[in-house]
Amino acid sequence: MKKEESISGVVVFLFGLVTMLASLKMPLGNFRTPGTGLFPFSLGIILMILAAMFVVKELISRQDVKGQIQRAAGAKKQLLLFLGVLILSIVLLNPLGYFLAAFFLMAGLLWILGVRGRLFVVLISLFTALTSHVLFVLWLKIPLPRGILGL
Amino acid sequence: MIESLEQLAFGFKVASTLNNLFYCFTGVLVGTLIGVLPGIGPIAGIALLIPATLSLDPTAAIIMLAGIYYGAMYGGSTTSILLNVPGETASVITCIDGYQMAQKGRAGAALALCAIGSFVAGTIGIFGLVFLAPPLAEAALAFGPPEYFALMVFGFIVLSNVTGTSILKSLMMAVIGLIVGTIGLDPVTGNERFTFGVIDLLGGIEFVAVAIGLFGLGEVLTNVYKPQELLDQKVTVPRFKELYPSLGDLKKAFFPILRGSGLGFGVGLVPGPAPVLATYASYLVEKKTSKHPEEFGKGAVEGVAGPEAANNAASQSAFIPLFVLGVPFGPTTAILLGALLIHGINPGPLMIKDHPMLFWGVIASMYIGNFLLLLLNLPFVPLFANILRIPKKILLPLVVLFCITGMYSVNNSVFDIWVMLICGGVGFLMMRRGFDGAPLLLAIVLGPRLEVAFRQSLMISHGDFGIFVERPIAALFLLGALLFLTLPVLRIGYRMMRKGG
Repeated sequence: MKKEESISGVVVFLFGLVTMLASLKMPLGNFRTPGTGLFPFSLGIILMILAAMFVVKELISRQDVKGQIQRAAGAKKQLLLFLGVLILSIVLLNPLGYFLAAFFLMAGLLWILGVRGRLFVVLISLFTALTSHVLFVLWLKIPLPRGILGL
Repeated sequence: MIESLEQLAFGFKVASTLNNLFYCFTGVLVGTLIGVLPGIGPIAGIALLIPATLSLDPTAAIIMLAGIYYGAMYGGSTTSILLNVPGETASVITCIDGYQMAQKGRAGAALALCAIGSFVAGTIGIFGLVFLAPPLAEAALAFGPPEYFALMVFGFIVLSNVTGTSILKSLMMAVIGLIVGTIGLDPVTGNERFTFGVIDLLGGIEFVAVAIGLFGLGEVLTNVYKPQELLDQKVTVPRFKELYPSLGDLKKAFFPILRGSGLGFGVGLVPGPAPVLATYASYLVEKKTSKHPEEFGKGAVEGVAGPEAANNAASQSAFIPLFVLGVPFGPTTAILLGALLIHGINPGPLMIKDHPMLFWGVIASMYIGNFLLLLLNLPFVPLFANILRIPKKILLPLVVLFCITGMYSVNNSVFDIWVMLICGGVGFLMMRRGFDGAPLLLAIVLGPRLEVAFRQSLMISHGDFGIFVERPIAALFLLGALLFLTLPVLRIGYRMMRKGG
């Protein structure tokens, strides 16, 4: 875990470095008339210093940080599938429309999380998609994508 | 003082119109539900509902969003007492004695004490707001860019000190938030920054996307990564033997409620997650001052009444820095600042004069809202608790659907949903590694203001950094920030000295 903590610090350090380098492409100005890049440039440096301090602190610290979240076999697969359905639903939001995308999202996520019984999953998903369509599209008049059904 | 009371009466007139009463009721009802449901806290809840307020007038919108904030505090206590499940972080302390009371069949009494304590604290809080906000606004008129810059730096340092697992982690989050806040157009020159040719980024990163992603979707993903048994878990709601507290309970709760109210009000005025800190402080004070400290942890009335009063008072007084200085000191009020800006309201010392209807209307609505919560919570507590019977595996997809729908409706943009998804992933990783999202969110909202104050200060002083220490108020804030920065180092040094000794 100590290693993973240090990696987090290195990632943050790199983020600071990229920010600093990208800021150099903007006019920095001077302290009398600060330019567009001066503020992010300074922030990049501060972040690099903080991240370096963090990494050093982690490396010299004798205490090992314990994992904060219980992990289970298959949890990673479940999480990846969950994210997959989520990404696919967002991609399909415009072409399919809100109603169908909401139905697909609900059905997919329920199934991944272990809700069983096809009819049950379909019914819950249909009910949720319909209710949210009535609430957001028909009642609150939010212009959600209509898609192929034109709903 | 008389003028303030007159203004308060005007506020009650504004808040008690049928329209505003409706939105106040909707806010506290939704807030209670959000508080009851673990996994979606007031930050994500408010962020999700900002789009729904876009068509409302600013007063009604902020009345509703503020209602969600303090309504969530009430709802959070319900699940803490009945199920030992804190609906949001400010209710963690209530679990200790509240749950023990419920185990003894005194859930009704505990919930009633929460409601009464919160109502009393709300009453005290409203008078504090009425009498403290106008003079503070007068004083804040003397604030220039260096003072604002120093105040915001002070806020970040204190918040970083009290959130997350380490100050370094929280400070890194705050700086990352400030960097993310620079994406878009430079607020001074109008030049593009870090947009990489993407038109959607010209307006900057949508803070609602960050809030829903970090605090809503991030929490959902964390739950999905837990073992299957936890997703299947069903809860049992205890039976209510007594619904109301006895006279003895009320006597025991009287002074803790008063102490909690005062303490909470004070804590709300300083940077940090006010309600959380207030409940911890109140619990410690009650335990220290109690004649029977051994009863704490076994169902002590004082351990429920004090923290709950403190929680509510802190939620109210946190509005003072937001409204009067235009500087939120916590993530929830940062979201409210974002909502105010969306509605074209720029809070600050002139807000009371420029927008009296909104300022006094929202303050009065908090009192009305507290009363509505009292009416709503006492008889319907078992009903709210039953919501928890819905298993997580059904609840989580619903939350995701709400996140996507809410996010799309802010700007009718799928791009914002992608930003939210990325922030959700980042939020998940942050939770796993013990990084707190609160400083990051606050920094995104305050970043542009901080930068403008910084650059204006330097322009005024012709590049001389002495401006930040020569002006007494700015110097005071920076000195405070320095003290808070060195505090952890001093603490470590003291511990090492004691070990060595």
